[in-house]
Amino acid sequence: MRMRIFSFFLSGLWLCALAAHAGMPEYQTFPADGQRLLLWVASGQGRSDAELVAARNLARQGVEVWSLDPTSAYFLPPVASSMDALPVEDLAAWFGAAQETGKRVAVFAVARAAVPVLRAAALLQPGPRSRLCVVLMHPNLYTVTTPLDEPDYLDPGDLSGLRVRVLQPRRSAATPWLPGLLERLSQHGAIVSDALLENLREDYWMRETPTDFEMAAGRHMDGMLLHQLDRWGCK
Amino acid sequence: MQVRHVLAVLFVGLCWISSAKAAGFETRAALPAPELKAHDLSGATRTLADYRGKVVLLNFWATWCPPCLREMPSLERLRIRMAGQALEIVAISSAETPEEVKAYLSKMKLGFPILLDSDSSNTRRWKVFALPTTFVLDAEGRIRHVLTGPTEWDEGEALAVIDGMLADRPGHANKKK
Repeated sequence: MRMRIFSFFLSGLWLCALAAHAGMPEYQTFPADGQRLLLWVASGQGRSDAELVAARNLARQGVEVWSLDPTSAYFLPPVASSMDALPVEDLAAWFGAAQETGKRVAVFAVARAAVPVLRAAALLQPGPRSRLCVVLMHPNLYTVTTPLDEPDYLDPGDLSGLRVRVLQPRRSAATPWLPGLLERLSQHGAIVSDALLENLREDYWMRETPTDFEMAAGRHMDGMLLHQLDRWGCK
Repeated sequence: MQVRHVLAVLFVGLCWISSAKAAGFETRAALPAPELKAHDLSGATRTLADYRGKVVLLNFWATWCPPCLREMPSLERLRIRMAGQALEIVAISSAETPEEVKAYLSKMKLGFPILLDSDSSNTRRWKVFALPTTFVLDAEGRIRHVLTGPTEWDEGEALAVIDGMLADRPGHANKKK
């Protein structure tokens, strides 16, 4: 018991120290009374209307959502590479603030936003990190890819105990490389799982020329996310 | 004088834009190609040995990939333009079922061979991370050029690459048309 109080005290001290050095990103809240809190991090392309609708629908179902559009929050150009420039200390402080609410916290990150999210999770203490669920939608963790050469991945840091679920639309050039990505995350200590999303392409909810199936799936992102979180045990 | 200056700047700008547009091909120093082992739509197994002695344009694509579909008509035009020459255009569908590919081909008539990489083993062996990705192989089956992304294959730099490869074939008089 004493040990638990002491480790709680240390975690609090660490969070205070982190907050002292980090700012908090500007984010949009969708309050709900339930015990779950989803931190939604949009991709470098910015937050789409479909993502806002999904956040509202989740809140109606009792899941609070804090929605972050990183390029807008940090005045960065709306390109994937902007994600590599995000202050990960800010994100770690944001995760800490979310966990302080006492709710069950999951982070959902799209595409290259996976990089700062994983790096921020690596900054957390082992306890808070192991209580976090991370869901990555078609994450891009490459440094560079060249045809005929082995892929080279970014170093996300120590992910020991972090639960990471990768959602991979089947219709993607990244799908054949999913096993290698999962292995890489495991090597960094993450507890990984994955789900293939059939008949869908990357960013299916915000494509210029979506198929009928993609439009329908885009309208049900909230249900898909809840299903994935439940199946994975992040309740 | 000022008009001439503006025209000069415009000319330099146009040259820069056109060179930037053409700068997609990556030249390789006659690299040995990875193994290619795939089925065609009739179920027959195909390997690079089937095309030995010809310049091979090996295009990794998918029916769900808009840039891949955009360049398909230009590949067909290239095939027609190069009829009778030692060029084989081979399009290999990455990680798709035969049904998906056949559904597309029922709407788009293509005269070059289509291979299936349903288990994506070829995509992984050739280290293809984006679609379309195209490899141009010489008559000995060595990789000479790689292009990531789409192009118009029957014009500009793409056509020059193919013409150059055909002219460089052993036994060829090294003359361009």
